[in-house]
Amino acid sequence: MSTFLQLTFSGVALGAIYALIALGFVVIYRASQVFNFAHGDLLIFGAYLMVAASGAGLPWGLALLASLVGTGVLAAAMQHVVLRPLIGRPVFVTVIVTIFLGFLLRIAVLLIWGPETHGLPTPWPMDGAVSIMGAAVLYNTFATLVLGALALGAFFLLLRYSKIGVAMRAVSQDQEACLALGLPVGRILALTWGIAGAFAALGGIGLAMFPRAVEINLAYIALAAFPAVLVGGLESMAGAVVAGLLLGVLQVWAQGYVNPLLGAFGQNFHAVFPYVVMIVFLMVRPEGLFGQQRIKRV
Amino acid sequence: MPNRPLAVRYADDFSLLAGRWERIGLALLAIVALAYPWLASANWITVANLALVAVVGSVALMILTGFTGQISLGHAAFLAIGAYTTAILGTQFALPFWLLLPVAGLAAAVVGLAVGPFALRLEGLYLAIVTIGLAFLTNHVLLSFPEYTGGMAGLAVPVHLGFGTAPAVLSERALYGIFLAIATLTVLAARNLARSNTGRAMMAVRDHDVAAAVMGVNPARAKITAFGVSSFFAGLAGGMFALQQQFITVDPPFNLLLSVQYIAMIVLGGIGTVFGAVAGALAYVFLSPLLEIVGRATPGLSQLPSGLQSTLLFAILVITCLVFEPLGLYGLWLRVKRYFMAWPFRY
Repeated sequence: MSTFLQLTFSGVALGAIYALIALGFVVIYRASQVFNFAHGDLLIFGAYLMVAASGAGLPWGLALLASLVGTGVLAAAMQHVVLRPLIGRPVFVTVIVTIFLGFLLRIAVLLIWGPETHGLPTPWPMDGAVSIMGAAVLYNTFATLVLGALALGAFFLLLRYSKIGVAMRAVSQDQEACLALGLPVGRILALTWGIAGAFAALGGIGLAMFPRAVEINLAYIALAAFPAVLVGGLESMAGAVVAGLLLGVLQVWAQGYVNPLLGAFGQNFHAVFPYVVMIVFLMVRPEGLFGQQRIKRV
Repeated sequence: MPNRPLAVRYADDFSLLAGRWERIGLALLAIVALAYPWLASANWITVANLALVAVVGSVALMILTGFTGQISLGHAAFLAIGAYTTAILGTQFALPFWLLLPVAGLAAAVVGLAVGPFALRLEGLYLAIVTIGLAFLTNHVLLSFPEYTGGMAGLAVPVHLGFGTAPAVLSERALYGIFLAIATLTVLAARNLARSNTGRAMMAVRDHDVAAAVMGVNPARAKITAFGVSSFFAGLAGGMFALQQQFITVDPPFNLLLSVQYIAMIVLGGIGTVFGAVAGALAYVFLSPLLEIVGRATPGLSQLPSGLQSTLLFAILVITCLVFEPLGLYGLWLRVKRYFMAWPFRY
């Protein structure tokens, strides 16, 4: 039982990170119909920025804020400089461009901060944990969950009740109509990308806390969040959150229960397990949990 | 100025070579290709061999993505299957390499035909990401059976000239000859495919699958055929790659970067034409040694591993190209041509 609880708790923690990352993808996709493959690299950029900011002597909260803002600005700049001119071009062009942007970003991170791994500083003891019904849960897990929930809550409130949120939803529906109404579409898109970038940074920070560390390979974790995006449905933010949590838990359960069953084949099987779930799921529901059903006309 | 003659008859649309200029260009290309191994140094012959592998691989992807419009980010998986088929069958049964290459293609084609049905329900980004998933799965399977594939450590690729004969070594020049023949046949096959009913059905599906279905094209058949043919050539390219490298590992090279590079080749060359696939592949591969020289000479960059240096410069090059020249190399060619046609006027 305690193993089950232990696995479930760490699954939820991983799922919360997947949800944040997937939400970043969905926010960008809805706003500008771009699937941002560079998201994983924004994630490590955020984590490294956090390490650099606290290394420079900023208190933890300020360092976090600096990382979120810095990554957000970078994402907005990326959109403005590179992706804006690509509007109206085929899907695979934006796919390649964002993937190569990701490589550029990763190499830039390597050049600036070097290949060493860094521990992410936390105001509480790094490996501190509480015991819940026999399962040890790290403080870091709580921090990830709380930060994630706060960010998601704030974003949903912003989107639903603020003027900017309404404008953001309008822009994601029809850019031309918004331009005609006099909305500053460029600035709203930049803001949307900035928010998605901040989500990426938050995901990166949650991901890089103990037991992991800040290193370049964290970018691959964003690849593991792709299934969450598609299972949830590309256009659905609620879907991204639900599917992210679900896949996180499933992945950790698979690591605990499925891997040992498969013998040699099971080694690292949990790493591809979300993809297996995604492929099976999409065969049944090609548009994901809450995605738009595509209607085609000739 | 070299210009394609106006197609005035239906038969003009079906001709393999349109007009005098294409024939002259092709003859020049053939002369250069045949003279190359006697003029270039050993290093550059190696580069050319890799370029020919890339030509076969990118023609394969062009059939799937350029003709049929199915975006695949799992192209590396088919190359991996081809490469490992060549290596494993060569090691276990000492089969000759000229038999292994088509077998590698067939092995990949079988997997491709199994993957094809996914494309019937998914499209665009969904398909792209499902193919990434399939590529991860392939790599996972390859790493899970180290007794055959060598696992992380990799696998040597023996070259046998006949059944059960002692392993031989093919010189780079011999490989060049073999690869040139394979690449030529592949290009010819793709050109013929593009001119045939099957190929035009694929293009109709790419442009609008519902409209194509209304016109009597069977989209399911076109998509699955495209997956089969494309993965056959990808597997062939994988087998060639294995022969050229003589030792293969799973990741690198068979990772997402490789799939993206192939997409970059066909987009840079100009999507939808066989010419684009060939030009893109040649330009991409021949640029990499040049970029490595640039990378070594640039202060700051030289501290990076050499693989990253060329990735960095490629990334910059590809992004700039795509932002400023939507049609790729083909677009540049059009610009040059228009400039001279309108000379001495700017427009």
